Amino acid sequence: MTNVLEIKDLSIDLIKNKERLHIVNNLNLTIMKKQKYGIVGESGSGKSLTSLSILNLLPEGIEVGNGHILLNNDTNLVNVSKKDMRHIRGNEISMIFQEPMTALDPLFTIEHQVSEVLKFHGETSKKEMHNKMMTLFEQVGFARPKQILKSYPHQLSGGMRQRVMIAMALICKPKLLIADEPTTALDVTIQAQILDLMNELTEYYDTSILLITHDLGVIAETCERVAVMYAGTVVEEASVKDLFDHPAHPYTKGLLSSVKSLGDRTKKLYAIPGNVPSPVELKDAGCRFASRCPFVMDICREKEPELFSVQDRHYSKCWLHDMEEGSTYEYATTDSESS
Amino acid sequence: MFTYVIRRILMLVPVLFGVSVLIFLVMRIIPGDVAQTILGTDATPEALQQLREDFGLNLPLHIQYFNWMSGVLTLDFGESMRTGKEILPDILSRFTVTFELTLISALIAWIIAIPMGIIAAMKRNSNTDFGVRIVSLLGVSFPNFALATIIILVLALVFSYSPPVGYVGFFEDPFKNLEIMIIPAIVMGTSMAGAVMRMTRSSVLEILMQDFIRTIRAKGAKERVVIFQHALKNAMIPILTIIGLQVGTLLGGAVIVEQIFSLPGLGQLVLTAINQRDFMVVQGSVLFIAFIFVLVNLLIDILYAYIDPRISYK
Repeated sequence: MTNVLEIKDLSIDLIKNKERLHIVNNLNLTIMKKQKYGIVGESGSGKSLTSLSILNLLPEGIEVGNGHILLNNDTNLVNVSKKDMRHIRGNEISMIFQEPMTALDPLFTIEHQVSEVLKFHGETSKKEMHNKMMTLFEQVGFARPKQILKSYPHQLSGGMRQRVMIAMALICKPKLLIADEPTTALDVTIQAQILDLMNELTEYYDTSILLITHDLGVIAETCERVAVMYAGTVVEEASVKDLFDHPAHPYTKGLLSSVKSLGDRTKKLYAIPGNVPSPVELKDAGCRFASRCPFVMDICREKEPELFSVQDRHYSKCWLHDMEEGSTYEYATTDSESS
Repeated sequence: MFTYVIRRILMLVPVLFGVSVLIFLVMRIIPGDVAQTILGTDATPEALQQLREDFGLNLPLHIQYFNWMSGVLTLDFGESMRTGKEILPDILSRFTVTFELTLISALIAWIIAIPMGIIAAMKRNSNTDFGVRIVSLLGVSFPNFALATIIILVLALVFSYSPPVGYVGFFEDPFKNLEIMIIPAIVMGTSMAGAVMRMTRSSVLEILMQDFIRTIRAKGAKERVVIFQHALKNAMIPILTIIGLQVGTLLGGAVIVEQIFSLPGLGQLVLTAINQRDFMVVQGSVLFIAFIFVLVNLLIDILYAYIDPRISYK
C-alpha cells in the first residue's frame, strides 16, 4: 500500500520571547491509502496541533520547528508555497473540526459555503457544482438536500451541521480527511451516526482518515491503527486490536483502565494521578510521563526512552521494554476499594 | 420585511413625541425673553406684552404645545419669531448643506478608516498596527476646531491659499461648492475616521480568531476571500453601529465646524436661534434633527437584518 501522509521527526514549537518550547516533539506517523488512523490523548497532549500543522493552520506564535510532513511521498507540506498549500487544502487534504456550531460562517447560506470549496479548486459551472452538492448531501443523509442548501447555519442542528462539514470536506474527493474531535460536541445518539457516516463515505471515496480524539471508544469504533500521544510525543503506536488487547505503555494502560465498562460496576474508575505537564514544565531530558508513572525508574528521569518494538508493528516508548524479555508488569488498579 | 419597517416607523412616534415635549419645555424654562431680544432693552412693558400676545406666549402651556403640534403634524412648522420666514423651508435648505458635508466627511472617513483598520487587524502588533492605532487615537482625541484652525493656517501661511468665503450651492457651481466643502469635510472626516478605524480593527481581529475563519482557510480560500468576503462582512455590525451614530449626529449639524467655515448648515441655524431665543425655530429644528437621527438608526437596523440572517424581521 502507498503512503498518503508521512510525518517524520516533527516538532511544533511555541515561540515565546524568542525562545522555542517544543510542544510537540519527534513525532512520527505514517498513514496509508484508505487507512483509518487515530490519534488519542488527553487535552494538552498536542494532538490537535499536530493535525493543524499538516495544513499549516497553526495559530499565531506556534510553528513547525523541525521535521517534515510528506504528502504522497513527494510534497513536503512544511515548506510548500502558500499557493500550493491553498491547492492542497480542501482538495487533497480536508478537515472537519470539533465544534460544528462555530465552524460555519453564520452569514452565508450552506450552498454558498459548500460551493466555495469547489470554486476555490477550479470548478466554474454552477450546474456542475449544484449537482455535486446534491449528490453528496443525499449521501450524508439529508432527506431534503435542496432545503438544506438554502438554509443558514443557525437553522440547522449540531448533527446536521457536522453532516454539512463532512459533505464539504469530501466534495473534492480528498486523499486524506483530518477529523479533529468530530463528535465531541455532539449528542451521544448522534455521535455514532456521524462516525458511521464518515466511515462509509471515506470508504466510498477512497479517502484515508486521520481521526483526532480523546475518546478511546471512538477509536475502537473507527480506526485501524492508533497512536497514543502524551505531552507532545507519541508514546505508543499499534493496530487498534493490539492496543486494546495488549497495551504496552504505562500511560496507555492507565488510559484503558480509566474507561467505564458496563460489565463491572463495582470497580471504582481509575484515574491517572496528576496532569499533563505544560510545555513550560517539560524538561528536555527523561521520559515525559515519568512524573505520573507508577513504574518510574531512575533511568526514566535521565534519558528519554527510545521507541521499542513490542510486537510486530507495535511500538512503545518506555524503558520497561528494555529489560529482560518477558518482564511483565501489572497496572496498579484500585481493587482494594471495591465494595 | 415591509411590516417590520412599518412597525419600526410606528415606534418612532413615541420617541419623537418625547423629544417634542422635552424641547418645548426646555425652551420655556431657560431664562431669556424673545420679546426682549427683539425689541431691545428700551421697549415699554406694554409693547413687550403685546409682542408676547402676538406670539401666543401668554396662553397656557398645553394650549401653546397643542397649537405648535397641530401645525407640525400638517408639516407647518410655523414662522420664525425674528424674521417672520417660514421655518420648514429654511430647515430643509440648511439641511442640504449639512447633508452634503456629512456625506463627503463620511466618505473620507470610511475610505481611510476601513482599509486601515483591516490592515492593522491583519498585521496585529506590527509597526503598521502600532502606527494605525496612534493615528486613530489622535483622530478621536484631537479637537475639531484645533485641526480646522491648523489646516487654515498652514494653507494660508505655507501655500498662500485660503478657501473661498461665502457659501455657494452645489447646483449653482459644483466646483466652487466642493472647494468650499472639502476642507471642513476633511476636518470632520478625520475625527470620524479615528473611531471607525478602532472599531474596524478590533472587530475584524475578533472575527479572525473565530473557528469558521479556520474552516474557510482549510477549504483553500485565498487570504483576500477570507478577509473581504467573510471577516469583513461579519465584522460589519459593530462598525455599522458606530457609523450610524456618527452619521446621525453629524446630520444634526456640526456646530463648531460650520461656524469656523461659515457654512449655513443646521448647526448654525440652531445656534443662532438659541442665542436669539427664537422658540419656534429651535423647537422645529430640534424636532427635525431628532427625526433624522432616529431615521438613520432605523436604516442601520434594517441593514443589520440584511447582513445577518440571524436577525429576523419579525
